[in-house]
Amino acid sequence: MRLSPLIPTVLRNLAKKPATNLFPKVEPVPVPENFRGRLIYDVDKCVGCRMCVTVCPAGVFVYLPEVRKVTLWTGRCVFCSQCVDVCPTNALKMSDEFLLASYDKYDEKFIWFKEEEIEELKKKLEEQKKAKEAAKKAENK
Amino acid sequence: MDIMTGVVYPVAGLVGLYIFVSLASLIWEGIDRKLVARMQRRVGPPLLQPLYDFFKLASKETIIPNTSNFMFRAAPVLSLATAIALLAYTPLGFEPILTSKGDVIVFIYLLALLSLFKILGAISSGNPYAKIGAAREAAIMVSREPAMMLAVFAIMWRLGKLGIEKPFSMSVFYQHNIWEIGTPMSFVGALILLYVFIVWLASEIEVGYFNIPDAEEEIAEGLLVEYSGRYLALFKLTKALKAFISASLVVAIFFPWGISGYLGLTGYAATIADLLFHTLKVFLLLFAVQSIFRATTGRLKVTQAVSFLWGRVFAASLLGSLLIAMEVIM
Repeated sequence: MRLSPLIPTVLRNLAKKPATNLFPKVEPVPVPENFRGRLIYDVDKCVGCRMCVTVCPAGVFVYLPEVRKVTLWTGRCVFCSQCVDVCPTNALKMSDEFLLASYDKYDEKFIWFKEEEIEELKKKLEEQKKAKEAAKKAENK
Repeated sequence: MDIMTGVVYPVAGLVGLYIFVSLASLIWEGIDRKLVARMQRRVGPPLLQPLYDFFKLASKETIIPNTSNFMFRAAPVLSLATAIALLAYTPLGFEPILTSKGDVIVFIYLLALLSLFKILGAISSGNPYAKIGAAREAAIMVSREPAMMLAVFAIMWRLGKLGIEKPFSMSVFYQHNIWEIGTPMSFVGALILLYVFIVWLASEIEVGYFNIPDAEEEIAEGLLVEYSGRYLALFKLTKALKAFISASLVVAIFFPWGISGYLGLTGYAATIADLLFHTLKVFLLLFAVQSIFRATTGRLKVTQAVSFLWGRVFAASLLGSLLIAMEVIM
């Protein structure tokens, strides 16, 4: 039995500091530039062009014709960043967040443009429509 | 001999030793895991991790496969019982509690019985992976024991020639030791036998080359594949105890020097000091044999291990024993 050639290495390592990141006690390893983290959606910038719906390989986006926006559930997102590249108004962008564990797959942080917000926007659009019609009527008279 | 010295003191001593050795052996396991982690530049678990693991396992649900028979449940208990009984015959820095003429046979028998119960429990589980593990364990067991037995008998016989009251008992090593003979031939023989015992210890606690019966990556923990909960906890504790006991044998044969004589202690203080010093020696030996061996080598195939144990280790044992016996014979 020859002695293992690893023994000197192993004994030298014993005197060295561990080369690990003690994550919950310290900050995690910093993310690089252009890191693809959680998807951020800006509803106000969205013009409803449906490019993201076409390009998304994972079916994250659902187009809402009444309000001409998209709603998205990033629980299914594959972080390919194609929607970000294709969005003409820069309504979508990738953040640096990557600690996305959750007990609930329909957690707040996975859903953008929620049910209530959609209703709110619908009402607002309706009011605008009515106001426009009223203005038109007033003009015609 | 009245009942106090005959029964009560040995039982109290055994219980005390059992508590001490289980704590020490589990803590050694924690130290070992920490050291191996540091050798691989990791931080490793806390020192008391094996204790936490033990209590966690003991509190888990125990699942009994419906293909198993009664031995599946009896084996862990019997094997821990054997380990505890073995402690009464183990030299732990002082003469064993139940030392008597010829008790080396009892020691070797009980040490082999531990493996036998493990094998019995595994083949009673009905899992073919466990059976593969059991076959490997049996092959390794019959290959490793003859070398150790030859060596230990040769040493005890040689020490018996120096004049002792209880030949072939485990207390021999605290009256005379192998280095006392002092001739060059016996010195070389003792070094060869030290090699034999180190390999035997590694194969007994199944680390490095000899991590064959449990082989997580090949046969899914082998012998222990069906064990869970309390029974697995018992087997893990037995394994830790066995590592301590096997290392104790090697320490007693080759490094039996106590510390109490130098410190001028007597009575209970001397016993405790010797026990602690013995524990330190066991830890140092296990560091060389278990931690470094485990961190630097992979496992052999079972055929390679068997031919290594017979071809090299048994041959070395034969040579060492002959060298030690030579002066008396000639």
